[in-house]
Amino acid sequence: MNFSPVYQPFELSAEQLREAALHFASNPLYLDNEEWENDDNPYRRQLRPQVLQHLDFTKKLSRSEILNYESLAAQRLLTTIYESDLMFLPQSGFGEKYEDFKRFYSSTNRALGEMIRPALERHSFGFLDDEVEVTGKWTRASLEAFLRDLENEQPQPSLAETAIEKSSDPARAARMWLIQFIPDFMSEASPMIRNVMGHYGPVQSDWFKVIIDEYGYGVHDTKHSTLFENTLSSVGLRTDLHHYWQYYLSSSMLLSNYFHYLGKNHELLFRYLGALYYTETTLVDFCRRAANLLTSVFGEEADVTYFTEHVHIDTHHGRMALEKLILPIVDACGEAVIPEIVRGFEEFKVLAQVNDEDFAAQIEWMDGGPTNKALHEPVWEGIQQGRVTAPIADLIEPRGELSNTHCHNGDELCHIVSGTMKFVAGFNSHQILEAGQGTVIRKNRLHGAIIESEECVYQIHSVGDYRACLS
Amino acid sequence: MLVLTFAVSGAGNCVEVGGAPFVYARTTLGSFVLPARCSHRGGPLHLARVEPGRARLICPWHEQATSVKRLARTGIPAVRRGEVVTAVFADATPDNWSTGHLPLSPDLDGTSVSV
Ligand code: FES
Ligand SMILES: [Fe+2]
Repeated sequence: MNFSPVYQPFELSAEQLREAALHFASNPLYLDNEEWENDDNPYRRQLRPQVLQHLDFTKKLSRSEILNYESLAAQRLLTTIYESDLMFLPQSGFGEKYEDFKRFYSSTNRALGEMIRPALERHSFGFLDDEVEVTGKWTRASLEAFLRDLENEQPQPSLAETAIEKSSDPARAARMWLIQFIPDFMSEASPMIRNVMGHYGPVQSDWFKVIIDEYGYGVHDTKHSTLFENTLSSVGLRTDLHHYWQYYLSSSMLLSNYFHYLGKNHELLFRYLGALYYTETTLVDFCRRAANLLTSVFGEEADVTYFTEHVHIDTHHGRMALEKLILPIVDACGEAVIPEIVRGFEEFKVLAQVNDEDFAAQIEWMDGGPTNKALHEPVWEGIQQGRVTAPIADLIEPRGELSNTHCHNGDELCHIVSGTMKFVAGFNSHQILEAGQGTVIRKNRLHGAIIESEECVYQIHSVGDYRACLS
Repeated sequence: MLVLTFAVSGAGNCVEVGGAPFVYARTTLGSFVLPARCSHRGGPLHLARVEPGRARLICPWHEQATSVKRLARTGIPAVRRGEVVTAVFADATPDNWSTGHLPLSPDLDGTSVSV
């Protein structure tokens, strides 16, 4: 009986992690799509496995790197991994999709996902360790004062809302905006449900009431996701899950995955409560502004019930989160859990800020299509004159070849040698590039391309900062 | 209870509550809300250095030591998010505070904190 095992926490080496990520993403469900949009198949998600072997997920991204391609790749992976806990069915029956259903929910897909999840979470959410820091001796009373102080904050329109209002194409911008909410709103409250399993006293039951509200009291027409589907349909968007997968910004997934991350890792329960309080409390004003914004952009045909419904219900949820969940859980578990509650509250703010800036920048990028195309000429000129020497990739692609959406960690110049490329900068946003033309591709901006001639020969110059090419 | 949000560094990095100034200090040993005036004779604790090899701040006036651990564990409850800090002052009233600026020593201004 001399056996004393040594417990080793689970961790993959860089090489193992790279292999495991590729292994997971090589599933036929996750390969590149030949279309921009998925067609009523909730199991298909483009993860671009061909690029994964070049990415290092072992490092924590910093705040300044959080919109880099690594983050987009990690968030697409995480969305896929978390969502294999949830049930999705196609709207119009199975047919051949039954095989995809089985693949998506198979033990092998789930086991492979679980292996890489902890590293991806550290990679993507680790920067919050540096961004948020809690100190001092917190008491129940100081926590309550801290949380209630949010009610004194003057809500301001977000950068995203302003970007839509000022966009050269507000309807397009608003549709792009609604698309960003799909990962969150279509399975609304699902991350939260992770917290009500088990057995832990009255808070569990009170939390369940919040979920009952989100689920429309069991009446399907009033379930919040149904209301959101109505919003999408009313402005001409499809409602089959992840139809617009390729148009999700990494920060939109970062935000919705944050709750899955907290809900999946139960040791982060208290952070969840802090973040929940923040969203429930601020959502009221956000939804009021969102309803007005959508109505002003699309007119009366926009169905904004999803948002007006939240104005009524969430006033109540913010108070409930504090009085029925947070304070009772502090009473039950002790003041030692307070720093985690405070941390979740502040972390969510950081992520919301990241998302807000990212979305506004994407609208500027989409609206700037003609400008970025026009910039090709002086930047190309600068490269010709040797003002910068940038790495060059030469590419030849056949008609219909679709570069699934992605982003780069620096500015690039796309230069068309021959043929025609349709360059896509976001939902409903593109430029046609012919031989001799091209476009500047801005750092961190989501984009893709499709070849529209028999063949297209083009170059990508990784210039880093395009301004260095200008005289 | 008074909840105040102020800057971690630069302009507005000091809040004066009920006549007592506070700053947010970031050291290699942890971060905390620091009373800027020393409890001995009111020396400038915001310019204190960390005693080499020990978790103590040394006041520049008469070298009184203050435990960094005590400040972080039992100090004023606060949270830093990026470049702003929010602190909860238990015995303060909403009408008795102001913000200002105080310089911080290199041991307290976060430059020594590796990110
Ligand atoms: S004033 Fe600080 S030690 Fe005397
Ligand atoms: Fe690209």
